[in-house]
Amino acid sequence: MAIFNTQGEEGCVQIIVQPAGKEQMNPFGDALYGAGTDLIKTELGAYGEKLFRSGSAYVPGNISRYFSNPQYYFQVSDQYVMNKLKLILFPFLHKGHWMRATETVGGEFSYKPPIHDINAPDLYIPLMAFGTYVVLAGFFLGINGKFSPEAVGLQATNGLLCWLFQVLLLEATLHTLGDGDVPLLDIIAYGGYTFAVVSVVLLCRILWSHCFYVVTLWECFCMGMLLVKIMKRILIAEVRRSENHSSKRHYLLLLVAVAQVPLLFWLGNIAV
Amino acid sequence: MTKEFSVPPVVFRSGGGVNPPAGNVNQRRVPTAPFQPSRPPSSSSSAIPFMSFDIGSAPSSSGSFGGTISTSGASGSASFDDEEPLLDELGIHPGQIWHKTKSILNPFRVNPTAHKDSDLSGPIFLYLSLCLFQLLAGKIQFGVILGWIVVSSIFLYIVFNMLAGRNGNLDLHTCTSVVGYCMLPVVILSAASLFIPQGSSVPRYALAGVFVVWATRACTNLMVTLADGGEEHRGLIAYACFLIYTLFSLLVIF
Repeated sequence: MAIFNTQGEEGCVQIIVQPAGKEQMNPFGDALYGAGTDLIKTELGAYGEKLFRSGSAYVPGNISRYFSNPQYYFQVSDQYVMNKLKLILFPFLHKGHWMRATETVGGEFSYKPPIHDINAPDLYIPLMAFGTYVVLAGFFLGINGKFSPEAVGLQATNGLLCWLFQVLLLEATLHTLGDGDVPLLDIIAYGGYTFAVVSVVLLCRILWSHCFYVVTLWECFCMGMLLVKIMKRILIAEVRRSENHSSKRHYLLLLVAVAQVPLLFWLGNIAV
Repeated sequence: MTKEFSVPPVVFRSGGGVNPPAGNVNQRRVPTAPFQPSRPPSSSSSAIPFMSFDIGSAPSSSGSFGGTISTSGASGSASFDDEEPLLDELGIHPGQIWHKTKSILNPFRVNPTAHKDSDLSGPIFLYLSLCLFQLLAGKIQFGVILGWIVVSSIFLYIVFNMLAGRNGNLDLHTCTSVVGYCMLPVVILSAASLFIPQGSSVPRYALAGVFVVWATRACTNLMVTLADGGEEHRGLIAYACFLIYTLFSLLVIF
Protein backbone atom coordinates (compact mmCIF):
# COMPACT_ATOMS: atom_id res chain seq x y z
CA MET A 1 0.00 0.00 0.00
CA ALA A 2 1.74 3.15 -1.12
CA ILE A 3 0.49 6.69 -0.82
CA PHE A 4 2.17 9.26 -2.96
CA ASN A 5 1.56 12.73 -1.84
CA THR A 6 3.07 15.58 -3.67
CA GLN A 7 3.25 18.76 -1.80
CA GLY A 8 3.81 21.64 -4.03
CA GLU A 9 4.83 24.43 -1.83
CA GLU A 10 8.11 23.16 -0.61
CA GLY A 11 9.01 21.10 -3.57
CA CYS A 12 9.26 17.90 -1.60
CA VAL A 13 7.66 14.56 -2.17
CA GLN A 14 6.21 12.64 0.68
CA ILE A 15 6.13 8.91 0.17
CA ILE A 16 4.61 6.55 2.65
CA VAL A 17 5.17 2.89 1.95
CA GLN A 18 3.54 0.36 4.21
CA PRO A 19 4.05 -3.21 3.20
CA ALA A 20 1.90 -5.98 4.59
CA GLY A 21 2.37 -6.80 8.22
CA LYS A 22 2.45 -10.15 9.90
CA GLU A 23 -1.25 -10.18 10.66
CA GLN A 24 -1.97 -10.41 6.98
CA MET A 25 -0.34 -13.81 6.78
CA ASN A 26 -3.04 -15.52 8.77
CA PRO A 27 -5.93 -15.00 6.37
CA PHE A 28 -4.17 -17.46 4.14
CA GLY A 29 -4.64 -20.00 6.86
CA ASP A 30 -8.25 -19.06 7.34
CA ALA A 31 -8.91 -18.84 3.66
CA LEU A 32 -8.41 -22.53 3.21
CA TYR A 33 -11.26 -23.07 5.62
CA GLY A 34 -13.41 -20.36 4.15
CA ALA A 35 -13.36 -22.39 1.04
CA GLY A 36 -13.55 -21.22 -2.47
CA THR A 37 -12.17 -17.73 -2.10
CA ASP A 38 -10.60 -16.11 -5.08
CA LEU A 39 -7.19 -16.26 -3.48
CA ILE A 40 -7.33 -20.04 -3.38
CA LYS A 41 -8.74 -20.33 -6.85
CA THR A 42 -6.18 -18.18 -8.51
CA GLU A 43 -3.12 -19.25 -6.59
CA LEU A 44 -3.75 -22.93 -6.26
CA GLY A 45 -5.87 -23.59 -9.31
CA ALA A 46 -2.85 -24.57 -11.29
CA TYR A 47 -2.04 -27.50 -9.05
CA GLY A 48 -4.93 -29.59 -10.11
CA GLU A 49 -7.78 -31.18 -8.36
CA LYS A 50 -5.93 -32.36 -5.32
CA LEU A 51 -5.90 -28.86 -3.92
CA PHE A 52 -9.63 -28.24 -4.21
CA ARG A 53 -10.14 -29.15 -0.59
CA SER A 54 -12.74 -27.22 1.30
CA GLY A 55 -12.59 -26.83 5.02
CA SER A 56 -14.48 -28.75 7.58
CA ALA A 57 -16.76 -26.14 9.07
CA TYR A 58 -17.53 -23.79 6.22
CA VAL A 59 -18.68 -25.43 3.04
CA PRO A 60 -20.50 -22.96 0.87
CA GLY A 61 -23.39 -24.15 -1.20
CA ASN A 62 -21.56 -24.30 -4.50
CA ILE A 63 -18.77 -26.51 -3.32
CA SER A 64 -20.95 -28.88 -1.36
CA ARG A 65 -22.91 -29.66 -4.48
CA TYR A 66 -19.86 -31.19 -6.10
CA PHE A 67 -17.72 -32.31 -3.21
CA SER A 68 -18.79 -34.09 -0.10
CA ASN A 69 -17.10 -33.19 3.13
CA PRO A 70 -13.40 -34.00 2.65
CA GLN A 71 -12.85 -34.34 6.39
CA TYR A 72 -14.56 -37.71 6.22
CA TYR A 73 -11.86 -39.12 3.99
CA PHE A 74 -9.04 -38.25 6.34
CA GLN A 75 -10.35 -39.99 9.44
CA VAL A 76 -7.76 -42.70 9.24
CA SER A 77 -5.41 -44.43 11.59
CA ASP A 78 -2.21 -46.39 11.24
CA GLN A 79 -4.05 -49.67 11.51
CA TYR A 80 -6.50 -48.73 8.78
CA VAL A 81 -3.70 -47.64 6.45
CA MET A 82 -1.84 -50.93 6.91
CA ASN A 83 -4.92 -53.03 6.29
CA LYS A 84 -6.08 -50.99 3.36
CA LEU A 85 -2.70 -51.27 1.69
CA LYS A 86 -2.87 -55.02 2.10
CA LEU A 87 -6.32 -54.90 0.53
CA ILE A 88 -5.16 -52.84 -2.43
CA LEU A 89 -2.09 -54.88 -3.17
CA PHE A 90 -3.65 -58.32 -2.64
CA PRO A 91 -7.38 -57.95 -3.24
CA PHE A 92 -7.85 -61.67 -3.75
CA LEU A 93 -6.84 -62.30 -0.15
CA HIS A 94 -9.74 -60.31 1.23
CA LYS A 95 -11.79 -62.72 3.25
CA GLY A 96 -14.69 -60.50 4.16
CA HIS A 97 -17.26 -58.82 2.00
CA TRP A 98 -16.82 -55.59 0.10
CA MET A 99 -19.86 -53.73 1.36
CA ARG A 100 -19.44 -50.55 3.27
CA ALA A 101 -20.78 -50.35 6.78
CA THR A 102 -23.59 -47.91 7.26
CA GLU A 103 -24.86 -46.08 10.24
CA THR A 104 -27.84 -43.93 10.86
CA VAL A 105 -26.88 -40.66 12.42
CA GLY A 106 -29.82 -38.65 13.57
CA GLY A 107 -32.17 -40.13 11.03
CA GLU A 108 -29.75 -39.60 8.21
CA PHE A 109 -28.21 -42.50 6.43
CA SER A 110 -24.45 -42.29 6.11
CA TYR A 111 -21.42 -44.45 5.87
CA LYS A 112 -19.04 -45.15 8.66
CA PRO A 113 -15.74 -43.30 8.44
CA PRO A 114 -12.68 -45.17 7.22
CA ILE A 115 -11.34 -45.65 10.71
CA HIS A 116 -14.19 -48.07 11.43
CA ASP A 117 -14.63 -49.67 8.08
CA ILE A 118 -11.99 -51.22 5.88
CA ASN A 119 -14.10 -50.86 2.76
CA ALA A 120 -14.56 -47.13 3.00
CA PRO A 121 -12.56 -44.95 0.61
CA ASP A 122 -10.08 -42.49 2.01
CA LEU A 123 -7.95 -39.73 0.56
CA TYR A 124 -4.85 -40.10 2.67
CA ILE A 125 -3.55 -43.18 0.88
CA PRO A 126 -4.00 -41.75 -2.64
CA LEU A 127 -2.27 -38.52 -1.68
CA MET A 128 0.66 -40.27 -0.03
CA ALA A 129 0.88 -42.83 -2.80
CA PHE A 130 1.06 -40.06 -5.37
CA GLY A 131 3.88 -38.46 -3.40
CA THR A 132 5.65 -41.80 -3.15
CA TYR A 133 5.28 -42.28 -6.89
CA VAL A 134 6.89 -38.89 -7.57
CA VAL A 135 9.77 -39.58 -5.18
CA LEU A 136 10.36 -43.07 -6.56
CA ALA A 137 10.22 -41.75 -10.12
CA GLY A 138 12.85 -39.18 -9.21
CA PHE A 139 14.98 -41.88 -7.63
CA PHE A 140 14.67 -44.11 -10.67
CA LEU A 141 15.61 -41.24 -12.96
CA GLY A 142 18.58 -40.48 -10.79
CA ILE A 143 19.87 -44.02 -10.79
CA ASN A 144 19.85 -43.96 -14.57
CA GLY A 145 21.58 -40.63 -14.63
CA LYS A 146 18.70 -38.69 -16.09
CA PHE A 147 17.65 -36.77 -13.03
CA SER A 148 16.59 -33.16 -13.36
CA PRO A 149 13.92 -31.22 -11.49
CA GLU A 150 12.02 -30.70 -14.72
CA ALA A 151 11.86 -34.44 -15.31
CA VAL A 152 10.41 -34.97 -11.85
CA GLY A 153 7.83 -32.30 -12.51
CA LEU A 154 6.99 -34.01 -15.77
CA GLN A 155 6.43 -37.31 -14.00
CA ALA A 156 4.20 -35.59 -11.47
CA THR A 157 2.13 -34.12 -14.28
CA ASN A 158 1.92 -37.51 -15.96
CA GLY A 159 0.69 -38.96 -12.72
CA LEU A 160 -1.98 -36.31 -12.35
CA LEU A 161 -3.15 -36.91 -15.90
CA CYS A 162 -3.37 -40.59 -15.22
CA TRP A 163 -5.35 -39.97 -12.06
CA LEU A 164 -7.73 -37.82 -14.04
CA PHE A 165 -8.07 -40.52 -16.65
CA GLN A 166 -8.92 -43.13 -14.03
CA VAL A 167 -11.54 -40.85 -12.53
CA LEU A 168 -13.08 -40.22 -15.93
CA LEU A 169 -13.14 -43.91 -16.70
CA LEU A 170 -14.88 -44.78 -13.46
CA GLU A 171 -17.33 -41.92 -13.76
CA ALA A 172 -18.17 -42.86 -17.34
CA THR A 173 -18.85 -46.43 -16.30
CA LEU A 174 -21.05 -45.36 -13.44
CA HIS A 175 -23.01 -42.94 -15.54
CA THR A 176 -23.58 -45.48 -18.26
CA LEU A 177 -24.76 -48.16 -15.94
CA GLY A 178 -26.86 -46.14 -13.57
CA ASP A 179 -27.50 -42.60 -12.60
CA GLY A 180 -24.05 -42.13 -11.12
CA ASP A 181 -24.90 -40.30 -7.96
CA VAL A 182 -21.71 -41.28 -6.21
CA PRO A 183 -19.76 -38.46 -4.52
CA LEU A 184 -16.90 -37.21 -6.67
CA LEU A 185 -14.36 -37.50 -3.87
CA ASP A 186 -15.16 -41.21 -3.60
CA ILE A 187 -14.22 -41.69 -7.23
CA ILE A 188 -11.11 -39.58 -6.80
CA ALA A 189 -10.11 -41.81 -3.90
CA TYR A 190 -10.67 -45.00 -5.88
CA GLY A 191 -8.75 -43.60 -8.81
CA GLY A 192 -5.87 -42.66 -6.57
CA TYR A 193 -5.37 -46.19 -5.30
CA THR A 194 -3.57 -46.86 -8.58
CA PHE A 195 -0.57 -45.00 -7.27
CA ALA A 196 -0.05 -47.40 -4.41
CA VAL A 197 0.14 -50.16 -6.97
CA VAL A 198 2.40 -48.22 -9.32
CA SER A 199 4.76 -47.38 -6.47
CA VAL A 200 5.24 -51.08 -5.84
CA VAL A 201 5.94 -51.59 -9.55
CA LEU A 202 8.52 -48.82 -9.51
CA LEU A 203 10.13 -50.18 -6.38
CA CYS A 204 10.53 -53.58 -8.01
CA ARG A 205 11.89 -51.94 -11.11
CA ILE A 206 14.50 -50.08 -9.08
CA LEU A 207 15.58 -53.19 -7.28
CA TRP A 208 15.74 -55.44 -10.32
CA SER A 209 15.06 -53.95 -13.69
CA HIS A 210 14.17 -57.14 -15.48
CA CYS A 211 11.08 -57.90 -13.51
CA PHE A 212 9.23 -54.85 -14.83
CA TYR A 213 6.86 -56.61 -17.21
CA VAL A 214 5.98 -59.46 -14.90
CA VAL A 215 5.30 -57.24 -11.94
CA THR A 216 3.31 -54.78 -14.02
CA LEU A 217 1.08 -57.47 -15.44
CA TRP A 218 0.56 -58.91 -12.01
CA GLU A 219 -0.35 -55.55 -10.57
CA CYS A 220 -2.68 -54.86 -13.50
CA PHE A 221 -4.52 -57.98 -12.58
CA CYS A 222 -4.72 -56.92 -8.95
CA MET A 223 -5.80 -53.40 -9.76
CA GLY A 224 -8.38 -54.64 -12.22
CA MET A 225 -9.82 -56.99 -9.68
CA LEU A 226 -9.94 -54.28 -7.04
CA LEU A 227 -11.72 -51.83 -9.27
CA VAL A 228 -14.19 -54.36 -10.58
CA LYS A 229 -15.15 -55.44 -7.08
CA ILE A 230 -15.52 -51.84 -5.99
CA MET A 231 -17.61 -50.93 -8.99
CA LYS A 232 -19.85 -53.94 -8.53
CA ARG A 233 -20.43 -52.98 -4.95
CA ILE A 234 -21.20 -49.42 -5.89
CA LEU A 235 -23.59 -50.51 -8.59
CA ILE A 236 -25.41 -52.87 -6.30
CA ALA A 237 -25.58 -50.75 -3.22
CA GLU A 238 -25.31 -47.12 -4.01
CA VAL A 239 -26.64 -46.48 -7.44
CA ARG A 240 -30.33 -46.52 -8.10
CA ARG A 241 -31.78 -47.60 -11.40
CA SER A 242 -28.89 -49.84 -12.28
CA GLU A 243 -29.45 -52.74 -14.59
CA ASN A 244 -28.37 -56.00 -13.09
CA HIS A 245 -26.95 -59.01 -14.86
CA SER A 246 -26.89 -57.38 -18.22
CA SER A 247 -24.14 -58.06 -20.67
CA LYS A 248 -23.57 -54.33 -21.00
CA ARG A 249 -22.55 -54.25 -17.36
CA HIS A 250 -20.20 -57.17 -17.77
CA TYR A 251 -18.51 -55.66 -20.79
CA LEU A 252 -18.07 -52.30 -19.12
CA LEU A 253 -16.55 -53.82 -16.02
CA LEU A 254 -14.25 -55.86 -18.20
CA LEU A 255 -13.27 -52.67 -20.01
CA VAL A 256 -12.40 -51.05 -16.69
CA ALA A 257 -10.17 -53.98 -15.78
CA VAL A 258 -8.49 -54.15 -19.18
CA ALA A 259 -7.89 -50.39 -19.28
CA GLN A 260 -5.60 -50.77 -16.29
CA VAL A 261 -3.01 -52.49 -18.46
CA PRO A 262 -2.00 -49.55 -20.68
CA LEU A 263 -2.40 -47.18 -17.73
CA LEU A 264 0.01 -49.01 -15.48
CA PHE A 265 2.47 -49.51 -18.30
CA TRP A 266 2.34 -45.83 -19.08
CA LEU A 267 2.96 -44.85 -15.48
CA GLY A 268 5.66 -47.38 -14.89
CA ASN A 269 7.52 -46.68 -18.06
CA ILE A 270 9.51 -43.69 -17.05
CA ALA A 271 11.35 -42.44 -20.07
CA VAL A 272 14.99 -43.06 -19.50
CA MET B 1 5.51 21.65 -9.35
CA THR B 2 5.55 25.42 -9.51
CA LYS B 3 8.13 26.91 -7.34
CA GLU B 4 10.76 29.46 -7.68
CA PHE B 5 14.39 28.68 -7.42
CA SER B 6 16.03 31.79 -6.25
CA VAL B 7 19.54 31.42 -7.43
CA PRO B 8 21.93 33.84 -5.92
CA PRO B 9 24.17 35.60 -8.38
CA VAL B 10 27.54 33.99 -8.83
CA VAL B 11 30.19 36.41 -7.87
CA PHE B 12 33.78 35.55 -8.40
CA ARG B 13 35.94 37.26 -5.84
CA SER B 14 39.60 37.54 -6.17
CA GLY B 15 40.27 37.63 -2.48
CA GLY B 16 39.87 34.95 0.10
CA GLY B 17 37.51 34.92 2.92
CA VAL B 18 34.24 33.24 3.22
CA ASN B 19 31.95 34.23 0.43
CA PRO B 20 28.31 33.38 0.52
CA PRO B 21 28.33 31.32 -2.71
CA ALA B 22 31.07 29.20 -1.24
CA GLY B 23 29.07 28.91 1.88
CA ASN B 24 26.12 27.82 -0.18
CA VAL B 25 28.26 25.30 -1.96
CA ASN B 26 29.32 23.92 1.34
CA GLN B 27 25.78 23.74 2.38
CA ARG B 28 24.91 22.10 -0.88
CA ARG B 29 27.47 19.44 -0.28
CA VAL B 30 26.19 18.81 3.15
CA PRO B 31 23.07 16.80 2.30
CA THR B 32 24.96 13.63 3.04
CA ALA B 33 24.26 14.42 6.65
CA PRO B 34 20.62 15.23 6.44
CA PHE B 35 19.90 14.07 9.94
CA GLN B 36 20.30 17.43 11.50
CA PRO B 37 17.59 17.75 14.01
CA SER B 38 18.06 21.40 14.52
CA ARG B 39 17.54 22.61 11.04
CA PRO B 40 14.84 25.19 11.18
CA PRO B 41 12.86 25.77 8.04
CA SER B 42 13.98 29.36 7.94
CA SER B 43 17.56 28.40 7.26
CA SER B 44 16.55 26.33 4.30
CA SER B 45 14.67 29.19 2.80
CA SER B 46 17.74 31.32 2.96
CA ALA B 47 19.79 28.65 1.23
CA ILE B 48 19.00 27.29 -2.18
CA PRO B 49 15.63 25.66 -1.71
CA PHE B 50 16.26 22.56 -3.77
CA MET B 51 14.85 19.18 -2.94
CA SER B 52 16.27 17.77 0.22
CA PHE B 53 15.41 14.46 1.76
CA ASP B 54 15.22 13.81 5.42
CA ILE B 55 14.86 10.25 6.43
CA GLY B 56 13.36 10.24 9.84
CA SER B 57 11.37 7.61 11.56
CA ALA B 58 7.92 9.00 11.26
CA PRO B 59 5.17 8.00 13.67
CA SER B 60 3.42 4.67 13.56
CA SER B 61 6.51 2.59 13.14
CA SER B 62 6.03 -0.34 15.42
CA GLY B 63 8.03 -3.47 15.94
CA SER B 64 6.37 -5.45 13.22
CA PHE B 65 8.41 -6.23 10.21
CA GLY B 66 8.14 -3.84 7.32
CA GLY B 67 7.37 -0.70 9.17
CA THR B 68 6.85 2.66 7.67
CA ILE B 69 9.44 4.34 5.58
CA SER B 70 8.59 7.94 5.16
CA THR B 71 10.67 10.54 3.46
CA SER B 72 9.38 13.88 4.49
CA GLY B 73 10.42 17.30 3.51
CA ALA B 74 12.79 19.77 4.94
CA SER B 75 10.92 19.73 8.23
CA GLY B 76 12.66 16.58 9.45
CA SER B 77 10.80 15.15 12.39
CA ALA B 78 12.45 12.42 14.49
CA SER B 79 16.15 11.99 14.38
CA PHE B 80 18.33 9.12 13.36
CA ASP B 81 18.84 8.11 16.96
CA ASP B 82 15.14 7.48 17.47
CA GLU B 83 15.00 4.94 14.69
CA GLU B 84 14.84 1.29 15.41
CA PRO B 85 17.74 -0.88 14.48
CA LEU B 86 17.32 -2.25 10.99
CA LEU B 87 17.18 -5.91 11.96
CA ASP B 88 14.51 -5.27 14.56
CA GLU B 89 12.47 -3.33 12.09
CA LEU B 90 12.67 -6.18 9.62
CA GLY B 91 11.80 -8.69 12.29
CA ILE B 92 15.01 -10.66 11.99
CA HIS B 93 16.40 -11.70 15.34
CA PRO B 94 19.73 -13.47 14.85
CA GLY B 95 19.84 -14.71 18.41
CA GLN B 96 16.48 -16.38 18.05
CA ILE B 97 17.42 -17.86 14.68
CA TRP B 98 20.59 -19.32 16.10
CA HIS B 99 18.73 -20.69 19.10
CA LYS B 100 16.13 -22.38 16.90
CA THR B 101 18.74 -23.77 14.54
CA LYS B 102 20.68 -25.21 17.45
CA SER B 103 17.57 -26.94 18.73
CA ILE B 104 17.26 -28.88 15.46
CA LEU B 105 20.79 -30.16 15.82
CA ASN B 106 19.73 -32.70 18.41
CA PRO B 107 17.48 -35.18 16.66
CA PHE B 108 16.51 -37.14 19.70
CA ARG B 109 15.07 -34.49 21.88
CA VAL B 110 12.77 -31.80 20.63
CA ASN B 111 12.66 -28.41 22.23
CA PRO B 112 9.48 -26.79 21.07
CA THR B 113 9.68 -23.69 23.24
CA ALA B 114 12.11 -22.06 20.88
CA HIS B 115 9.77 -22.62 17.95
CA LYS B 116 6.61 -21.32 19.53
CA ASP B 117 6.72 -18.07 17.61
CA SER B 118 7.37 -18.87 14.01
CA ASP B 119 9.45 -16.74 11.74
CA LEU B 120 10.48 -17.03 8.17
CA SER B 121 13.87 -15.40 8.20
CA GLY B 122 15.65 -18.49 9.52
CA PRO B 123 14.18 -20.66 6.77
CA ILE B 124 15.17 -18.07 4.18
CA PHE B 125 18.71 -18.12 5.48
CA LEU B 126 18.78 -21.94 5.38
CA TYR B 127 17.30 -21.91 1.87
CA LEU B 128 20.03 -19.54 0.70
CA SER B 129 22.74 -21.67 2.22
CA LEU B 130 21.29 -24.79 0.57
CA CYS B 131 21.28 -22.99 -2.76
CA LEU B 132 24.85 -21.92 -2.12
CA PHE B 133 26.05 -25.46 -1.53
CA GLN B 134 24.18 -26.67 -4.58
CA LEU B 135 25.85 -23.89 -6.54
CA LEU B 136 29.21 -25.09 -5.33
CA ALA B 137 28.27 -28.51 -6.67
CA GLY B 138 27.51 -27.00 -10.03
CA LYS B 139 23.73 -27.00 -9.93
CA ILE B 140 21.84 -23.76 -10.21
CA GLN B 141 18.55 -24.57 -8.52
CA PHE B 142 17.42 -21.43 -6.74
CA GLY B 143 13.96 -21.36 -8.20
CA VAL B 144 13.45 -25.08 -8.01
CA ILE B 145 14.23 -25.29 -4.31
CA LEU B 146 12.07 -22.32 -3.46
CA GLY B 147 9.16 -23.71 -5.45
CA TRP B 148 9.51 -27.11 -3.85
CA ILE B 149 9.62 -25.60 -0.36
CA VAL B 150 6.42 -23.69 -1.03
CA VAL B 151 4.61 -26.68 -2.51
CA SER B 152 5.73 -29.06 0.19
CA SER B 153 4.75 -26.74 3.01
CA ILE B 154 1.29 -26.30 1.48
CA PHE B 155 1.08 -30.08 1.12
CA LEU B 156 2.04 -30.68 4.74
CA TYR B 157 -0.36 -27.96 5.90
CA ILE B 158 -3.26 -29.61 4.06
CA VAL B 159 -2.40 -33.11 5.24
CA PHE B 160 -1.90 -32.10 8.87
CA ASN B 161 -5.08 -30.08 9.12
CA MET B 162 -7.16 -32.71 7.39
CA LEU B 163 -5.82 -35.46 9.61
CA ALA B 164 -6.21 -33.46 12.76
CA GLY B 165 -9.86 -32.80 12.04
CA ARG B 166 -11.82 -30.22 13.87
CA ASN B 167 -9.19 -29.37 16.43
CA GLY B 168 -6.35 -28.91 14.00
CA ASN B 169 -4.94 -25.45 14.38
CA LEU B 170 -1.77 -25.45 12.36
CA ASP B 171 -1.39 -22.31 10.31
CA LEU B 172 0.62 -21.93 7.15
CA HIS B 173 3.21 -19.60 8.65
CA THR B 174 4.11 -22.07 11.39
CA CYS B 175 4.11 -24.91 8.90
CA THR B 176 6.51 -23.15 6.56
CA SER B 177 8.69 -22.13 9.47
CA VAL B 178 8.98 -25.70 10.75
CA VAL B 179 9.60 -27.17 7.29
CA GLY B 180 12.22 -24.52 6.67
CA TYR B 181 14.09 -25.01 9.92
CA CYS B 182 14.11 -28.76 9.54
CA MET B 183 15.93 -28.31 6.25
CA LEU B 184 19.07 -27.91 8.31
CA PRO B 185 20.02 -31.60 7.95
CA VAL B 186 19.54 -31.33 4.18
CA VAL B 187 21.84 -28.30 4.14
CA ILE B 188 24.45 -30.25 6.06
CA LEU B 189 23.97 -33.16 3.65
CA SER B 190 24.59 -30.93 0.66
CA ALA B 191 27.71 -29.56 2.30
CA ALA B 192 28.96 -33.05 3.11
CA SER B 193 28.16 -34.42 -0.33
CA LEU B 194 30.60 -31.95 -1.83
CA PHE B 195 33.36 -34.07 -0.42
CA ILE B 196 32.02 -37.47 -1.40
CA PRO B 197 32.76 -38.52 -4.97
CA GLN B 198 30.04 -37.81 -7.49
CA GLY B 199 27.98 -40.50 -9.06
CA SER B 200 25.29 -42.67 -7.62
CA SER B 201 26.88 -44.91 -5.06
CA VAL B 202 25.74 -46.62 -1.95
CA PRO B 203 27.66 -44.43 0.54
CA ARG B 204 25.87 -41.40 -0.85
CA TYR B 205 22.50 -43.07 -0.42
CA ALA B 206 23.32 -44.20 3.08
CA LEU B 207 24.48 -40.73 4.11
CA ALA B 208 21.39 -39.18 2.58
CA GLY B 209 19.23 -41.70 4.35
CA VAL B 210 20.67 -40.77 7.73
CA PHE B 211 20.10 -37.07 7.20
CA VAL B 212 16.60 -37.58 5.84
CA VAL B 213 15.63 -39.63 8.86
CA TRP B 214 17.06 -36.93 11.10
CA ALA B 215 15.06 -34.23 9.34
CA THR B 216 11.90 -36.34 9.47
CA ARG B 217 12.21 -36.95 13.18
CA ALA B 218 12.81 -33.30 13.91
CA CYS B 219 9.95 -32.15 11.73
CA THR B 220 7.45 -34.66 13.08
CA ASN B 221 8.30 -33.93 16.67
CA LEU B 222 7.98 -30.21 16.14
CA MET B 223 4.72 -30.45 14.24
CA VAL B 224 3.13 -32.68 16.80
CA THR B 225 4.15 -30.51 19.73
CA LEU B 226 3.45 -27.15 18.15
CA ALA B 227 -0.07 -27.76 16.87
CA ASP B 228 -2.81 -29.82 18.47
CA GLY B 229 -4.54 -32.71 16.93
CA GLY B 230 -1.49 -34.47 15.61
CA GLU B 231 -0.72 -36.82 18.46
CA GLU B 232 -2.58 -39.89 17.32
CA HIS B 233 -1.49 -39.48 13.70
CA ARG B 234 2.20 -39.34 14.36
CA GLY B 235 3.16 -42.06 11.93
CA LEU B 236 1.00 -40.66 9.17
CA ILE B 237 2.50 -37.20 9.51
CA ALA B 238 5.97 -38.68 9.75
CA TYR B 239 5.48 -40.34 6.39
CA ALA B 240 4.45 -37.06 4.79
CA CYS B 241 7.55 -35.31 6.21
CA PHE B 242 9.68 -38.23 5.05
CA LEU B 243 8.42 -37.79 1.49
CA ILE B 244 9.21 -34.09 1.55
CA TYR B 245 12.77 -34.45 2.77
CA THR B 246 13.49 -37.39 0.48
CA LEU B 247 12.50 -35.17 -2.41
CA PHE B 248 15.01 -32.55 -1.34
CA SER B 249 17.70 -35.10 -0.77
CA LEU B 250 17.17 -36.29 -4.35
CA LEU B 251 18.16 -32.82 -5.48
CA VAL B 252 21.32 -33.12 -3.46
CA ILE B 253 22.34 -36.64 -4.36
CA PHE B 254 21.75 -36.57 -8.09
